[in-house]
Amino acid sequence: MTSRRDLLAALVAMAATPALARAPDAFAGLDPAAVRRIGEAWRKQHPTASIRELTRRLFPAGRGPDALPRLRAQAAADFRRGAVFSYRGWRLSDTEGALFALLSLEP
Amino acid sequence: MAIIDARTLPDASPMEADLVIIGGGLAGITLAKELAGGPLKVVILESGGLDIDMENQALYAGSGVQKAPGNPDRPFDDYPVQSRVRALGGSGMVWGGKCAPLDPADFAERAWIPHSGWPVTRAQMQPYYDRACDLLEIPRFPLKRPASTEANLQPLALDPADGFFPAPREFSKFTGGRDKAAFDAFRTGFAEAPNITVYLHANVVRIRREDDQVTGLDVACLDGKRHTAKAKRYVLATGGIENVRLLLASDDLGNAEDLVGRFFQGHVTYSSEGDDQNEGTAIAVSRAVPMDLYAPGKGLMPHCVIGSGLAGQARMKTGNFTATLFRVNASGPETPVAADTLTLGKGGGRLAGQGDGQLLGYFAMTEHFPNPDSRVTLDPEHKDALGMPRVRLTWTYGEKDYVDLERSVIGLSDALGASGEGRMCWAIPRNKLLAICNASRHHMGTTRMHADPKKGVVDADLRLHEARNLYVAGSSVFPTSGIANPTLTILALCMRLADHLKSETVQ
Repeated sequence: MTSRRDLLAALVAMAATPALARAPDAFAGLDPAAVRRIGEAWRKQHPTASIRELTRRLFPAGRGPDALPRLRAQAAADFRRGAVFSYRGWRLSDTEGALFALLSLEP
Repeated sequence: MAIIDARTLPDASPMEADLVIIGGGLAGITLAKELAGGPLKVVILESGGLDIDMENQALYAGSGVQKAPGNPDRPFDDYPVQSRVRALGGSGMVWGGKCAPLDPADFAERAWIPHSGWPVTRAQMQPYYDRACDLLEIPRFPLKRPASTEANLQPLALDPADGFFPAPREFSKFTGGRDKAAFDAFRTGFAEAPNITVYLHANVVRIRREDDQVTGLDVACLDGKRHTAKAKRYVLATGGIENVRLLLASDDLGNAEDLVGRFFQGHVTYSSEGDDQNEGTAIAVSRAVPMDLYAPGKGLMPHCVIGSGLAGQARMKTGNFTATLFRVNASGPETPVAADTLTLGKGGGRLAGQGDGQLLGYFAMTEHFPNPDSRVTLDPEHKDALGMPRVRLTWTYGEKDYVDLERSVIGLSDALGASGEGRMCWAIPRNKLLAICNASRHHMGTTRMHADPKKGVVDADLRLHEARNLYVAGSSVFPTSGIANPTLTILALCMRLADHLKSETVQ
């Protein structure tokens, strides 16, 4: 039997579905045109990437307080294993590229 | 004892001493300072006068070219005459005063770098570095540097396993460009010692040898006078190009193994301003606090560069590499490139939990690997006013120089990224590296030091393998170039040579 608490949890989880999700506030206020250019450059190399897929990759445990440290660790691991994304001469982690792509796709 | 204009001497004057130093630049002066007041009668023969004079400078004129794989040759004919100064004090007349020791890695034999390895270690050089620092009145460079507690002087928190470290630089006031009065005293005061005589306008045009001994020097003045100099021992200290010129012009002295003039190494910096597609050489630092340790607000201030130590070099299979950071006026988001840079920097800073961070510029330097095809030769078809053949400089890079530069940039970029300290931009195509690089005035490697006569021109005591009473001082004896400005190491080696000469005298 589904309890009221389970129902609320399910609703919260639904609210965090990719179409409605937002990146952590840490990335609020970035220049949208620049975000779009960087994101599109990454997506050119990953043409099948979708909001859902990117969200699953970047925020597998949701967008709570642990999200930023997790992204940070992913980015560090990218640099360690050579998973990098070059943009205008900048050497960025693939995670950052994916993050800009997600930011550029989200409404 | 005195500073004498050799042009005022009667023609064919003999100059006699226990030790003759050929060249009154910072190497020759340092050596003489160490011997001042001692038992040895010392003569310095300096080509120039007290001031920079274009007629003297013209004696340097030669030709040059820089070469690198995949890059168009770069004519460099003005370089020999523009990169040195013929006057008492030598290129110290225009030196910027920047001082740094070579890193321990620079002295090491590194299996991945052919011809690397000095016959002396950094630890063995440390006491001489300390004395050289004292002479130049700058703080010493201990092998382990105490850390500061101030927030703006904290080093980047890079993973030690990556092998990058903050390598300090200091500035001496003893240069013609910084404190002329202090430098004038530095370059002339030692000549008051009773055992020192400096001859100005005294150009050595030939070293005479019999078997393994130098027997005398031919000295020429631009006014036509000719003199001779004779001593028990001699030190050649005329610079990394002119040392070669005089040896080769003296019947190939020291060149039995065809090494004199080869392995020329120079320092260049690599940076780019950027264009409408790329930012240029820049680092988006995650921290918001001023990075005064690396980029103090004013020029000619003590600072650190990001250096690549032995562990990093071994890991990346590269040579020495540094990034020198400097402050830039960050532009607003008026152009797509600038807006993207701001956004990338903010993104990196926020990801690191540091806020929006800051943008710094940098220039990169790498060790120029020893290369026998990078060389100074004589041009017998062209002679100077004294009849000396002019020089041809062929400054050559190999494939490894550029591959390792790029690999080092990637290594530092990844170290910055993995630590969350920043992001790095590098957008210089390999086929443009020669055209955009800026050459220093550092000339190294052309009379390299090695215990084996088949691999070096001088031995570990800086004594010519072929002539046992002739020593060479200056950066021409460096087997590898490192990246540090060579003056401090030149002076430290002169301190060491002075001790050797004194001990030989006692024996």
